[in-house]
Amino acid sequence: MDGTRSKWDRASRTYDRVTWADERRYAAAKESLFRGMRGRCLMLAAGTGNDFPLFPPGLLVSSIDISRAMLERARPRALAYEGGLSLVQMDAHRLGFRDATFDTVLSVSTFCSIPDPVRGLRELYRVLRPEGRLLLFEHVRSRIGPIAMMQDLLTPISRRFGPDLNRDTMANLLRAGFRLVREENVYLDIVKAAEAVRA
Amino acid sequence: MPHERMFAFGEYVAGGATSVLMACAIHAIVAPGWDMALAMLVGGLVGIGVHLVVAMLAGPLLGMFPVMASGSLIGSYGGMIFAMRDSMQAASWGRVAAIAALFGFVAVAAVRLYDRALRSSSIDPGARGGR
Repeated sequence: MDGTRSKWDRASRTYDRVTWADERRYAAAKESLFRGMRGRCLMLAAGTGNDFPLFPPGLLVSSIDISRAMLERARPRALAYEGGLSLVQMDAHRLGFRDATFDTVLSVSTFCSIPDPVRGLRELYRVLRPEGRLLLFEHVRSRIGPIAMMQDLLTPISRRFGPDLNRDTMANLLRAGFRLVREENVYLDIVKAAEAVRA
Repeated sequence: MPHERMFAFGEYVAGGATSVLMACAIHAIVAPGWDMALAMLVGGLVGIGVHLVVAMLAGPLLGMFPVMASGSLIGSYGGMIFAMRDSMQAASWGRVAAIAALFGFVAVAAVRLYDRALRSSSIDPGARGGR
């Protein structure tokens, strides 16, 4: 896990520049997904806090990240949020929360990076209340041949600096015990917004 | 200029640039008389290489996946098509660049159209064992 932590510590220096366009392209789709946040919320992988301004105001959110450097960059955006937003350094494979703590769990481009995604999703299942919602904004492996091939070819390289490009997160959701209630394409069949509940 | 239009314009520029650079690189390597299968193999590899370079440069400005999606199609299929042409007939540099630019624009337009079609179609969660 130290390798993952140091990778994201390094990535924090250029993260906002590298994701500049993606943040603007997908802001509306994310904002629409985030409107589903209710009650006590957990957000995985805070990153530099780029998504915090898109949260509905007035929520109580705990946001975790494995990288301390990312959390330091996220702090000003967390302070600017009109609600309660706490930042905690934590590994998504071992969440330090009790069972059934959260009404909403939000994951934005997290399961492309977590080394064992099904284990991470099972942790979300554990901390989500039985009637709670898991909201996901993730990029996945395309089903369009040449694009999928390129994602497969590039993943060994991209993994060194950031995320995997060819994860099948929707299938991993089901493996972890969730049930998909909504799945939308945001860009081709690569970037997706989805909503799941405990099965 | 609103972001959406700026990104659309950028996608066409990146797609055109990928295609022109790819076609010119292949034109410099492949000559009439090459075995067509070998030419297509070389063309595909050169196209993918050019696409990766352009994607690294343009991705942060335009979004990684939009650049990668059209660029991978231009690089792989376009590389093979342009290498096939170069193995069969001589063409001027001007013609190579003009046809390549047109190919790039058409590929980007096709990807953007397909993106719209996919976004407007609903996905049945039941197909993945949901609902």
